[in-house]
Amino acid sequence: MSKRLYTVCKVALLLLTLSIGAFAQETFPANGVKDSRLQVYAFTNATIYVDYQTVLQNATLIIKEGKVEQVGAGIAIPKEAIVTDLKGKTIYPSFVDPYSQYGIPAVKAERASWGGQPQLDTKTSGPFNWNEAVKAEYNAYTEFTVNPKEAENLRKAGFGAVNTFRADGLVRGSSALVSLASDRDQNVVLNERTAAHFSLDKGSSRQSYPSSMMGYIALIRQTYLDAQWYKNGGNKTFNDQSLESFNRNQSLPSIFDASDKLNLLRAAKIGSEFGVNYIIKGGGDEYQRINDVKATKASLIIPVNFPDAYDVEDPYDAMMVSLADLKHWELAPTNPSVLASNGVAFAFTASGLKDPSQYLSNIRKAVKAGLDEKTALKAMTATPAQFLRSDNTVGALRKGMLANFVVTNGNLFEDDTKIYQNWVQGKPYVLAEINEIDLSGKYNLMVGNTSYLLEISGKPGSPSAKVKVNDTTELKSTFKMSQDLLSLSFDADKEGNGKIRLSGWMVGKDLKGNGQLVNGEWINWTATYAEALKAEEKKEEKKEEEKKEELGKVIYPFTAFGNETLPKSELILIKNATIWTNEAQGIVTETDVLLKDGKISQIGKNLSSAGARVIDGTGKHLTAGIIDEHTHIAATSINDVQSVSAEVRMGDVIDSEDIDIYRQLAGGVVAGQILHGSANAIGGQSALVKYRWGLAPEQLKINGADGFIKCALGENVKQSNWGDGNTIRYPQTRMGVEQVFVDAFTRAQEYEKEWNAYNALPAKTKAATAAPRRDLELETLLEILRKKRFISCHSYVQSEINMLMKVAERFDFRINTFTHILEGYKLADKMAEHGVAASTFADWWAYKMEVREAIPYNAALMNGEGVVTAINSDDAEMARRLNQEAAKTVKYGGVSEEEAWKMVTLNPAKMLHLDNRMGSIKVGKDADVVLWSDNPLSIYAKAEKTIIDGAVYFDIEQEQAKRTALEQEKARLIQKMLDVKKAGGPTQRPAMRQKHMFHCEDVIYHSHAENLD
Amino acid sequence: MKQLISTILLASVALGNLWAQVPQPASEQQKPIAITGAVAHLGNGKVIENALVTFDKGKLTLVADARVVRVDLSGHEVIEANGKHLYPGLILANTELGLLEVESVRATRDYSETGDYNPNVRSIIAYNTDSELIPTLRYNGILLAQVTPKGGTISGSSSVVALDGWNWEDAAYAYDEGIHMGWVNTYQRPRWWLGETQIKKNENYEAQVREIEQFFNDAKAYANAGKPKTVNLKMEAMKGLFDGSKTLYIEASYAKDIVSGIQFAQAMGVKKIVLKGGEQAYRVADFLKENAIPVVLANVHRLPSSTDEDIDMPYKLAADLTKAGVMVVIAYDGLQSSRNLPFFAGTAAAYGLDKEQALQLITLNPAKMLGIESRAGSIEVGKDAHLILSSGDLLDMRGNNVEAAFINGKRINLDGKQQMLYQRFKEKFEQE
Repeated sequence: MSKRLYTVCKVALLLLTLSIGAFAQETFPANGVKDSRLQVYAFTNATIYVDYQTVLQNATLIIKEGKVEQVGAGIAIPKEAIVTDLKGKTIYPSFVDPYSQYGIPAVKAERASWGGQPQLDTKTSGPFNWNEAVKAEYNAYTEFTVNPKEAENLRKAGFGAVNTFRADGLVRGSSALVSLASDRDQNVVLNERTAAHFSLDKGSSRQSYPSSMMGYIALIRQTYLDAQWYKNGGNKTFNDQSLESFNRNQSLPSIFDASDKLNLLRAAKIGSEFGVNYIIKGGGDEYQRINDVKATKASLIIPVNFPDAYDVEDPYDAMMVSLADLKHWELAPTNPSVLASNGVAFAFTASGLKDPSQYLSNIRKAVKAGLDEKTALKAMTATPAQFLRSDNTVGALRKGMLANFVVTNGNLFEDDTKIYQNWVQGKPYVLAEINEIDLSGKYNLMVGNTSYLLEISGKPGSPSAKVKVNDTTELKSTFKMSQDLLSLSFDADKEGNGKIRLSGWMVGKDLKGNGQLVNGEWINWTATYAEALKAEEKKEEKKEEEKKEELGKVIYPFTAFGNETLPKSELILIKNATIWTNEAQGIVTETDVLLKDGKISQIGKNLSSAGARVIDGTGKHLTAGIIDEHTHIAATSINDVQSVSAEVRMGDVIDSEDIDIYRQLAGGVVAGQILHGSANAIGGQSALVKYRWGLAPEQLKINGADGFIKCALGENVKQSNWGDGNTIRYPQTRMGVEQVFVDAFTRAQEYEKEWNAYNALPAKTKAATAAPRRDLELETLLEILRKKRFISCHSYVQSEINMLMKVAERFDFRINTFTHILEGYKLADKMAEHGVAASTFADWWAYKMEVREAIPYNAALMNGEGVVTAINSDDAEMARRLNQEAAKTVKYGGVSEEEAWKMVTLNPAKMLHLDNRMGSIKVGKDADVVLWSDNPLSIYAKAEKTIIDGAVYFDIEQEQAKRTALEQEKARLIQKMLDVKKAGGPTQRPAMRQKHMFHCEDVIYHSHAENLD
Repeated sequence: MKQLISTILLASVALGNLWAQVPQPASEQQKPIAITGAVAHLGNGKVIENALVTFDKGKLTLVADARVVRVDLSGHEVIEANGKHLYPGLILANTELGLLEVESVRATRDYSETGDYNPNVRSIIAYNTDSELIPTLRYNGILLAQVTPKGGTISGSSSVVALDGWNWEDAAYAYDEGIHMGWVNTYQRPRWWLGETQIKKNENYEAQVREIEQFFNDAKAYANAGKPKTVNLKMEAMKGLFDGSKTLYIEASYAKDIVSGIQFAQAMGVKKIVLKGGEQAYRVADFLKENAIPVVLANVHRLPSSTDEDIDMPYKLAADLTKAGVMVVIAYDGLQSSRNLPFFAGTAAAYGLDKEQALQLITLNPAKMLGIESRAGSIEVGKDAHLILSSGDLLDMRGNNVEAAFINGKRINLDGKQQMLYQRFKEKFEQE
């Protein structure tokens, strides 16, 4: 047996023996005699990455009892060490995954059945949080157990330790840092409480609330406040071990799971509110909003689950793949390098990969896409360790740290580099034969008395053989090598009549052994080394000089019709148009308007301005941009389900990537109120946005706008059309609806009193008194009572409209707007007296009982009585034709065209308290204007230019070029994907993302939906 | 139980009350009527700027250019329509009108029978002439409708009605002219309420197609059998598809489904085929033209079917298909906005068609598709006098103002409950 083969055997043997016993297990009685070993190893002559940035050449690593004892060049090797010569090999610290569910049992989630009753209360037993989605009391170590199969897969991928948690709930409790040794749980749990985990996914909880993204955020927010209150005295009133644990976990690093870039921004925002620097687990799409991601200053955990190419051979199927998905396929591998070049601190995770073995290969892709190797290694080792405050334990190979390291045959980031061994806590796990023998060469093979030519080629460790007879005729053969034995079988002749089977071993450079002929006769054989293979026979593929890959550009937002560069405010002079001023001068013809610095700067005849972009408005109409008082576009979710959900904020869930923003720009819409849905009497807080297509969510918000909130009455609040299961949530009648309002405002008043009393205490007493609990729901209601937040209330029939006005009057405030308000015409006089505005549909009806008496003359009648009246959409499609809907008030009820136009511009601006800056063409107002091809009330009119703050966000002249560019980009990517498929790369089936078009009645509730409209 | 009964009682009292406000059907045309001076949009693409149109006993007797033709109008009731616009009555195809009153109230939903194969159920017998929706449609110029069952794989048989009549027999205009089938989707839409966001391949596609195939094979065999011993109502209803007396309406959206659905029907020997839906019909326009398949666009005012699609694709689809040589009918799926039919055509005019072509998509084209073009769909001598007079452009909400309407020459009452409520509250506020 050769010396090399002997070493191999030794290591293999070690593997067997070490699995018996290991480190300190003082408390465990031995079954048999005590068998503790020395466990000292020395690895010599290796290239050693002590950490991601410190490389030693020809160095020695000494480990003892699972830890690094010494590392360096020229150090003495202890006598008791088992020595391995790693000449030509490289040692790296094993990888650390900060985001894993290794060894944690899967969470069982019941799926609620259709028609079932909602679960209003928690079903968790014990003194825990009122809401099941808050599971701060959970500690991953309590359920963790070593899973040998999973551990093996992770070790094969190069991991030595992972931080493991249970992915369930918004507040998920703590994680544990564990090594991947196949050992007792007691030995592998390195830190039983490493980090606190959060998410924006409610998980297994079937409790109704929260049921929306904004509800998730609101609950997390309230839980922070509750925990503070609990700590400061709330714990004297009752026992909540979730809050207790929540407080305890705050000393740990906090890891927040955000599945995509928008959730990442949301998580960072929550963190900033409570002074927490979350380590945010992103979705791998951060490059799509890199500036905003960078601005959060958050540390990130980044997956490397780059998507496979789609199978786009069938052009119809290919239509199902969106531009965004095509582009993400191409650009996802650039995400890490984009993060790195923007200075974002990040660690990698294997989370989201089908197989952890893709981890390294995908990081290699990222390196090819521009990520520098040092940063890559850092993100695999030092950074995750540092995030977990375990950088003295894992992620490097300094003295005293865990002996977790991998042995490779070279640079980790090169494709043909192999990991041979992964040592975890000083235990070797062999992944591949380290001392692979190079058998390649030409041999003279003698089998019995017959001579053949044997050619062995291929890389060490994966040889392949050719057997020739008479120098030319090739015989079909198979060649295998395992440990120190080899076996070769080949056809006895060209026709394949039977096989000759040989088994043997190496003797020097030669091979010899025994075998059987076709007839079963045993023979001896020898293969004598003759010469090396010629260069071309070695089939060493020359690395083609890799061409710099051509990549598409990032667009904002990252979807069809996004822009490579964001529109900018311009100096614009619109000449000779018909101007619908919405002011005293009415509709004026042949007039010019100058837009400057985002404002309307001049209106008049024959204006000029040096350097202005001149737009000819001859024959065209210029109006203020349309404002949609009631929209549900550009939001991730719409409804939460508590009867009073005042704490939820649409501003938390703005979806800047929604294509409907662009589509509505094409309909002349410049701004909207994103309203909560109508599932509850008091819904969530509105977001007032301008449709600045391409900008990030926070930048869509209208600065300085007043706060608004959605309320609702009638069938949706009563859950009349939600199926037979939904008959227990209060209220179920219009009588109950009133009581919800009265109760809510009464509680708000009491809340105010409680705080006033507390705040009035003398300083000393106050310091000794526990502060009342802060309640974000009641604080919001209090804003309404203090006239700092304004109600837009979904309503249909006259009784309920009357009711809410009376409730408001009783609490000394006024309803700002009734929205839908289809029977408003029956109460127009009372509404005018109350001072409430009306935002209605032009002609919708017939979809439910409470719209039976809806008439298209509603707007005209209300307007005629002096109610400020608007036409809204509540519908992403109709919103792009609001100009036409306004025109219907002329048809039904004879409103003048000028007045009709105000119903989609100035009047909604008034309702939203924005009429001092929007809604008309007046010097000093925001340059939010639309140039129409025709009278804007005509069905033939098209918005040609939609301008917001002086920037052109939609331009019909650019539209064709945009479509062409979109098609070309898709065609380019499809060709590229076809090349991948042709080259044998993996593909996935085409699938299209489809966004749901929300109406205010859409509820994701109790795991099923109601979509009644 | 007590509560239930009182609810039912209340509901019936309320409904009874409201139905009483549906206008009374018009009486027969008493004498010849002449409309003079109108801009007549004939529905066949032609316009007469200054038209003379006469009709008697419900039939059009003269359609002429008043500058050329002189006729003695004595004995006629003369309507001077100088500069106003005259149109053929609009035809609303593919509608649940009369089968549905309030979408959220189960008791008022009569358009979808249980089971997957219902060719034998007939919309006409459930058609409610007293539906409150009817007057709102007539108010905007819609005078005929194809009352269509929905749901299942084969939903049932549709019939054409005139929107005036004492009962369904009175209103019936063409009985059981077609059978409606939803074709199998190769892709399934995401169940958004479960958090799904992706359209995915339908794994059961082939099994579902085989099931339909079996049904059609059985129907064909039954039709060939002449008089089978055991009468099968479903198979009886299917017979007309194979002899050309009934049209098969196939609902499909995606390009692949459109082609496979139509080819399936052709292979089964169905004589007359119409495509409904057709969101991606623009990708198979040549196929539709070559096979002479009319397309019913179920909704013009909708969003594009994917983020990447041209933002105005639903608006311009009618024009694109028409220009490609496909016969297009504009309709509406649902009831909520069905009264806006003229404006759907207006949108088609804004996005690529001329106005007369667009008008044809809601008049002559549906008439042809429904097999009633000899009687309706255009203003031509010999056809039934279904006419609308509007003070302005009917296809534009700025102009649409129907002043008079005739069904079979009968002048109908355009007002309904909505106008009544308007008047009531207008007067209330005026008096205050």
